[in-house]
Amino acid sequence: MFSLFFENLYISVSSVLANKMRSLLTALGVVIGILAVTLMGTLISGLDRSFEKSMEFLGKDVVYIRKFEWFGSKEWWEIRNRPNIDVKHAEVLRNRSQFAQYVAPVSDWQTSIKRGDKDINGVRITGTTDEYAMISTAEIDIGRFFSNSESHSGARVAVIGKDIKDALFEDESSIGKKLKVGNYIFRVIGEVEKQGKFLGMFSLDKQIIIPLGTHERLFTRRGWTGINVKVNEADLGDATEELTAMMRQLRHVRPTQDDNFALNRQDPFKDQYSMIKLAIGGTGLFITILSLVVGGIGIANIMFVTVKERTREIGTRKALGATPKMILTQFLMESVIICLFGGLLGLGLAWGGSLIINQYFPSDMPMGLALVSLGLSMVVGVISGLAPSYKAAKLDPIDALRYE
Amino acid sequence: MSVISLKDIFKIYNVGGEEVRALDGVDLIIGENEYLAIMGPSGSGKSTLMNMIGCLDTPSSGIYEFEGEMVHEMDDNQLASIRNRKIGFVFQTFNLLPKATAQHNVEIPLIYGNVKRSKRQSMAIAALESVGLGDRMHHKPNELSGGQRQRVAIARALVNNPSIILADEPTGNLDSKSGQEIMAIFDSLYQAGNTIILVTHEDNIAKHANRTIRLLDGKIKEDISKLS
Repeated sequence: MFSLFFENLYISVSSVLANKMRSLLTALGVVIGILAVTLMGTLISGLDRSFEKSMEFLGKDVVYIRKFEWFGSKEWWEIRNRPNIDVKHAEVLRNRSQFAQYVAPVSDWQTSIKRGDKDINGVRITGTTDEYAMISTAEIDIGRFFSNSESHSGARVAVIGKDIKDALFEDESSIGKKLKVGNYIFRVIGEVEKQGKFLGMFSLDKQIIIPLGTHERLFTRRGWTGINVKVNEADLGDATEELTAMMRQLRHVRPTQDDNFALNRQDPFKDQYSMIKLAIGGTGLFITILSLVVGGIGIANIMFVTVKERTREIGTRKALGATPKMILTQFLMESVIICLFGGLLGLGLAWGGSLIINQYFPSDMPMGLALVSLGLSMVVGVISGLAPSYKAAKLDPIDALRYE
Repeated sequence: MSVISLKDIFKIYNVGGEEVRALDGVDLIIGENEYLAIMGPSGSGKSTLMNMIGCLDTPSSGIYEFEGEMVHEMDDNQLASIRNRKIGFVFQTFNLLPKATAQHNVEIPLIYGNVKRSKRQSMAIAALESVGLGDRMHHKPNELSGGQRQRVAIARALVNNPSIILADEPTGNLDSKSGQEIMAIFDSLYQAGNTIILVTHEDNIAKHANRTIRLLDGKIKEDISKLS
């Protein structure tokens, strides 16, 4: 049976090569189907990776007390009059909460930073305390974070993100150097390791961290304020309840009133993300199935034409001793080869596409999916080749030999 | 000893509600190393008889025995197998595979007979050499003349050493010179001990044979053996 296999392979490949354009057009549906499924896989793998990284930034065990919910269904007019988060409450929470391990008040503002003739705009200026370093998952890779005493003083020291370092210092060391935040001169004491973009939206490295005391003195108090609380991951539920109760008390919320603040965690991001993933996956799957079905019909059609064109050949082969099963295998193989060829072409294109996607966020083509999709194209080949091959196998040799 | 034995063979078609007897009670015995010509006008059942002998078709009734094997009881797979092992076909239109070389064309019956590659190649080469095409083995049919193509087809018919060679109007698509060459090959194959069955309507082709049967309306009207 080995020699028959090679004979069939030879027939199939030479038939595909003899009709290059026809084979290409026939396989187009499969090409698109495989392209869709692998590109979707690549996209999702890339999204997964960037999402995991972004979630790492938020941390599993950190509660972000903010004025507004990150995801919420409340109407804007219901929440617009909420008072700002008072950073002084951070102290109270630390003293009273039995779950809080670290508590860091944060106050954000945005301005430009200069050094000599270089500058960088739209930098997030975060005023906070030394505990911020304990809560953040990002490490200081050069220099140091500011100390507890510096936190509440007006010390003009700054820890900078990699975007700032790259824009203002390039290859120079930044430690001990001066830079101008707004109109004030600061001394750089540390650099935060590179963190990349948050969900591909904005750079986490375009940030400068200064002591809260300095921030309050030099920059406006109208900044976006909040309190970050790190708890034990196991206590997250209890901690959320406890902190909610404390915040209600501190903000004088009456029992009948709703909370006028939000305790944010990474979970809702995950929910949102799974929905996005489902949408991408669903769309990709829909396109894939649709194009494979349409492609399969095209292949079945062209295989019927092939069987018709080669009726005489089938008759001859039968006269020479080919059994119906051998003829069936021959045409099935041809249909599978066309599909496999389409699948490989689709994979090649998808690989090119994944390089383009890779420019926007790190991703790679999942090898497992590539193999599955090749298998899938073979299945399409078998299914769409079945009826034409059966027809060929069942041809009466006498009629086939006589066919003009 | 007989190679083929047909007893009371009927082949009946139903065309538009009307019964057509393509073969109407044919009895025929073909012995080893016979050179037989089947003749008859179109519609005489000549083609049907040829298809029957070639195991491409089975009778409506009657007994067909091919070297002791009961052909009339066979299914498609068994028919394919007996065609592969025992019958060499030569067609009027050559029926070579256009994209394959002469050698590959000759190898095809061996591929279906599951012969190993190395043995297959040497058998194909020997067959092609025996019809004088040793120097055309890697040519494709469109690079060969009509006579050469038919010789490739004869090599293909010979290659697995069949019990009979069945040729359907083998010179019908050839000029007279090539036709004579082809008939000379058949003559020498007969001399070498092969059993040859020619289907033709040309008397000067049939005269090569030493036995001629004539069909009319599905019946054998004449069965003449030439004394040699």
